Amino acid sequence: MEMLLQIIASGLLLGGIYALLSVGLNLIFGVIKIVNLAHGDFLMMGMYATFFLFTLKDINPYVSVLIIFPAFVLVGVLIFRFIIKPLLGKAETEVNTIIATAGLGFVLQNLALMLWKSDFRAIETNLTGKSYEFAGIMLSAGRTWAFVICIAIALILYYILMKTKVGTHIRAVSQDTDAATLMGINVNRIYTLTFAAGIALVGAAGAIITPTFYVYPTVGLYFNTMAFIIVVLGGLGSFTGALIGGLLIGLVESFAGVMASSELAQVFSLLIFLFILFVKPEGIMGKGARV
Amino acid sequence: MAEKILMVDNISKRFGGLQATDKVSFDVRAGEILGIIGPNGAGKSTLFNLITGFYPIDEGTITYHGERIDGLTPDQICHKGITRTFQVAKPFPGLTIADNILVACLPKADKVSDARAKVDEILKIVSLDKKAGSLGADLTTLERKRLELGKALATNPEILLLDEVMTGLKPKEMDDMMELIKELKKTKTIVIVEHVMRVIMNISDRIIVLDHGQKIAEGLPREIAENPLVIEAYLGRGAKHA
Amino acid sequence: MKQNKSLLILAILTVALLAVYFLPLVIFAKHILILTLFYAFLGTGWNLMCGYAGRLSLGHAAFAAVGAYTSIFLFKEFNLTPWLGMFVGGGLAVLVMLLIAYPSFRFGLKGPYFTLASIAVAEIVHNLLIYGRDFTGGSLGLSLPYVPTSLAMFQFDGKELYYLVILAFWLLAVFLTIKMERTRYYLEAIREDEDAAAALGISVNKNLIAAACISAFLVAVGGTFYGQYFRYIDPYSIAGFSLSLNMALVVVIGGSGTIFGPTIGAFVLIPLTEILRMSLGSQYPGLHLFLYGILLVVCIIYLPKGIASLPGIIRARNDKKARQLDQGSEGVL
Repeated sequence: MEMLLQIIASGLLLGGIYALLSVGLNLIFGVIKIVNLAHGDFLMMGMYATFFLFTLKDINPYVSVLIIFPAFVLVGVLIFRFIIKPLLGKAETEVNTIIATAGLGFVLQNLALMLWKSDFRAIETNLTGKSYEFAGIMLSAGRTWAFVICIAIALILYYILMKTKVGTHIRAVSQDTDAATLMGINVNRIYTLTFAAGIALVGAAGAIITPTFYVYPTVGLYFNTMAFIIVVLGGLGSFTGALIGGLLIGLVESFAGVMASSELAQVFSLLIFLFILFVKPEGIMGKGARV
Repeated sequence: MAEKILMVDNISKRFGGLQATDKVSFDVRAGEILGIIGPNGAGKSTLFNLITGFYPIDEGTITYHGERIDGLTPDQICHKGITRTFQVAKPFPGLTIADNILVACLPKADKVSDARAKVDEILKIVSLDKKAGSLGADLTTLERKRLELGKALATNPEILLLDEVMTGLKPKEMDDMMELIKELKKTKTIVIVEHVMRVIMNISDRIIVLDHGQKIAEGLPREIAENPLVIEAYLGRGAKHA
Repeated sequence: MKQNKSLLILAILTVALLAVYFLPLVIFAKHILILTLFYAFLGTGWNLMCGYAGRLSLGHAAFAAVGAYTSIFLFKEFNLTPWLGMFVGGGLAVLVMLLIAYPSFRFGLKGPYFTLASIAVAEIVHNLLIYGRDFTGGSLGLSLPYVPTSLAMFQFDGKELYYLVILAFWLLAVFLTIKMERTRYYLEAIREDEDAAAALGISVNKNLIAAACISAFLVAVGGTFYGQYFRYIDPYSIAGFSLSLNMALVVVIGGSGTIFGPTIGAFVLIPLTEILRMSLGSQYPGLHLFLYGILLVVCIIYLPKGIASLPGIIRARNDKKARQLDQGSEGVL
């Protein structure tokens, strides 16, 4: 019984982190309708930034979010302006944005390889190795804090999207670009904002997970697959869905990891993913139609 | 009376809570133009989608030359000899006009070269021969409608189902299109869904009227124009809205 | 493009590539040529489904892996010649493809959803290859037991014969594409508008599935070639995302949905990558792929329809100029 609770608890912690990883992707996919294959590589960049801020400037990973978020907003604006925007609104948009972001991923991974070599790096903070005990269940301190921050960010985002004017605009654009334009919404501005926010969120996620994951140039590839699975599972543009999807995959991994091998755990997640794609492509919580 | 080639018997279709087609029966006779009219949402386009297999029917039967065709897929029905156009014209935007027509000729051609040989003739019929090299994406509304018709003709159907070919056309363009349809009548049987009364009254041999998914009237254009039920379906609804 | 014209181009290219065989090239150049034709072949297979029918797959490495692992496994365990193992692998790849293609097309999975499903399938194959250590050697992979040059066993010392083999494969694949003229038109129509295609009597699912199966078969055969040529396969190199992506890239950069686009793309990208890797790879690891990535992004932005669209663009520009000149002279008059 205790074992079961332990598995569930670690699964949920992992799931919360997964959910945060996929929020930025979800936003970009849901609003601009493009697949950002470089998503995981921005995560990697966020992790490296955190790593160096910590080792060189002694800045706590959670505090570094405050630096990384605005920096990544800027990066996101530039990338949108010079790479994504020229590709939008054409017959080949769908294919070409996928290919272009894959190329961008190549660029980022190899930039990291050139600058920082392929070594696995990790940081030791005052939370490393520590756990909290709660009713007999051990919770990794790093992951617990990551989980808490993830939930907080998700709530803030939810508030912005549902309660503010700009959030309403974003939702309007995600539902119908033409109608939004007619209502006087500047779609280009909303796209830029969404893309930048998506990139900044994944950068921040990178900062938050750095205390508990290794950093290396291709770390993004692993998380990329995860993030896509969660986004589709939860449903495009649905934040509650993303949260549930993240928790679900976290649980699946946690259980399958104990029962079988990590490869089978992945296979299992992927099969669930395919199943959902086939029978309910709008996701568990989504209400949108098939694209 | 001409032979009944297509018989629609008591077909129904429900989408969730909406009864889109409710026990509709009618038949189509060789060589005629059958008009289908009805207010918005009466189920006219749904009827085409049911006949051509885009939606499965819930109840009833559709018989073509004595053979059940309900349950067949759209491509199979096209091979039998029934082709439809779409209310919103669907050109293949990335293909040239000539290739649009070629693609339509292919399924019934033995060789690609046979299909290619037919393209020019069809382009002339729908007056798109000068546009052969343009892309499907670069057409005016009238040209799109003409291409839609050309593609349907290219499949050499016995029955042609035309879904609102006049929508979006200027009066002069409508007259041209009407002439074209009358010309086609010499070789085809035509079922036409249309909003524009002037057109439907002018070209139809017979008319059926749908309202709320049900057939409320059937007859010659003159009879339909005087039918109180039809007037109520149109005006009654209009009065309520006003 | 008319069939005869395409066949003529193919004949000229084949003669030219055969002539290259007799040139006294350094080994590195031969290697580049083999790799280029290998990718041109894979790309031609990928293009059938993904280019013509517009279903972007970024998981085709799964089929290459099925092909390579099957033929090497059968050779190791049963001494079956890879010439036959290749067909077994191709058949298995077709089965795997059916497993994914049938539900995908049945449930109308399109656009990014189809791409994601394809990635997931490749990831599953990748993970299963690592998991099935007893048969696949896990992440260490399989090496091909060495036999001296033997045509019967598809193993050669030196590069020359591999070059001829891959040239023949490529020739057959392009020839097949040219001969599938009717199917190509159907697939294009399906890509542009499925309902309109069905209304004209084109069976959407039948054509999509046929294209998908041929595509998977060709790529699986490519996988066997890869195994025989490198004599070693592992999940990362043959079932990894980068092989899937590279297949897609040569086609998209060359011109997807065109007969020679994949070949053009391969002849531009592969020598470039290899030369960059050769000259920069050892001193600055990553630099060649970094530059490669930048080049891709620039290519996509400025040539969204690929290199094969260049003649059309130039023609259009000249027409426009001519028209402007006409208008100019009218203005003067």
